[in-house]
Amino acid sequence: MTLGGEHGRRAQEVWRRRRRLERRLHDGPALRLSALSLRLGVLRAEIPDQALDGADAWRRGLDECADELAAALQELREVAGAIYPSLLEEAGLGPALRELVAATGARARVEAVDTRCGAAAEGAAYFAAAACLEAAGDDPVDVGVRVEGDHLVLVLAGVDPGLRATVCDEAEPLGGSVEVGGPGDGTATITARFPCA
Amino acid sequence: MRVAVAEDGALFRQGLVLLLEAAGHEVVAVEAGGDPLVAVLSTVPADVALLDIRMPPEPDGGLVTAERLRAAHPDMGLLFLSHYAESHYLMRILEIGTDRIGYRLKEKVGSVEVLSDTLARIADGEIVIEPELAKRLVERPRGDKKDLVSTLSQRERDVLELMAEGRSNNGIASTLYVSAKAVEKHVANIFDKLGLQPDTSAHHRRVLAVLTYLRSQRSDV
Repeated sequence: MTLGGEHGRRAQEVWRRRRRLERRLHDGPALRLSALSLRLGVLRAEIPDQALDGADAWRRGLDECADELAAALQELREVAGAIYPSLLEEAGLGPALRELVAATGARARVEAVDTRCGAAAEGAAYFAAAACLEAAGDDPVDVGVRVEGDHLVLVLAGVDPGLRATVCDEAEPLGGSVEVGGPGDGTATITARFPCA
Repeated sequence: MRVAVAEDGALFRQGLVLLLEAAGHEVVAVEAGGDPLVAVLSTVPADVALLDIRMPPEPDGGLVTAERLRAAHPDMGLLFLSHYAESHYLMRILEIGTDRIGYRLKEKVGSVEVLSDTLARIADGEIVIEPELAKRLVERPRGDKKDLVSTLSQRERDVLELMAEGRSNNGIASTLYVSAKAVEKHVANIFDKLGLQPDTSAHHRRVLAVLTYLRSQRSDV
C-alpha cells in the first residue's frame, strides 16, 4: 500500500512541524507572559498603602497591564489551537474533539476509541471534524472515531454532503480517502480514512 | 501558609516564589518536576502544593505527582496551574480528589489577593475551579443540556456559575451580596429545573454533580 508516497511523507512532516510550533508557543512566549503577570503582582503588592501619592492610580495601571497580558495569552491560546491543539497531542482525538464541542457549544456527540494514531492522522482528522462541526452550527452531528488496520476512520453523521471537499482537503494530502453516504434527507454521513504514521 | 512548588518553566517558577513570598507565604520546596517534589515532601511538611500540569514526568507530570501526593499526604492541598483551562483536565483532577484541590490558569493567580484567596479556599477543603472554565461550562453546556440551562433565570445562572467555580453557599452569598438563605433557595430551584438529585449535604458532592451534569453528553446522566 502507498501511504501517499513522497507527498504523504511531506504532509506527515507538515503536521509534526505544526505540533512543534504549538510547543514552542507554550514553552516560550506563553510562559514568559504568564511569568510577567506574576511579576506585575509582586510590584502591585509592593506599592505602599497610603504613603505614596497616586498609589491607586499605580494599582489601576498595573491591573490594566495584567488584563492586557491575560488578553494576549488568550489570543496566543487561540492561535496555538489553530496550529495544533495541545490536548490533541497530550490526550488524543476523542478528548480534543470533546473539548472542542464543549468550547463551541456544538450539538455533537463524540464516540472515540483511545488508540493513538500519530500527529498527522490525528491532526488532519481533528481539523476535518472541526470544519464540519463549525458548518453544522446548531444542527446535531454524531462524530465517530475508530481504527481499522493502519487507518484512523472518522465518521461524521448528520452533516452537509457539500463538506466532502473540505474533508478531502485534509485526508488526501496524507493519502487518505473520503466516502459520502447517508439517509438522503439532505444530510450525509461522511466517512474519511487517514493513514496512521 | 507553607507552600511547595513544582514547575518546569524557570521564569514562571521564580515569579511564583516571589509572589508567594510577597503574599506572606512560606515556600518550603521549589522543584522543576514532580518526582523531586514528592521526594522532598516526604520529609518536609506543606499545606498546599502548587503543580504545573505539563511538566516532568512527561506528558502530564502534574497529575501523576498529585496522585502520589494525595496518597501520601491526604490533608495536603493541591493547586494545579496551567496554560490551558480545559474540562478534560478538570475531570481528571476531580478523579484525584474533590476536596482541597484547585485548577487555575497561570496568569489568573498573578495578584497577592487572588493567589491567597485561592490557597485559603483550598486549605479550607474547597474545590477551586478557574472562573473562565466554570463560565464556559455554564454558558455552553453539552448538547441537550442547553435547553434546560436556558430555562434558568439570570440570577440562577449566576449562582450555577459560582457553584461550578466550587464556591460554598456563603461564598456565593457574599459574591452576589445576597443572604445565604436566598442562595439556598436558588440552588434548590436550579437542581429542580435541571432534574438533579437535590443532595446538597456535602459541598464537594454538589460541585461534582453540577460539573458532571454540564459535561456529560446525555441528559439522563
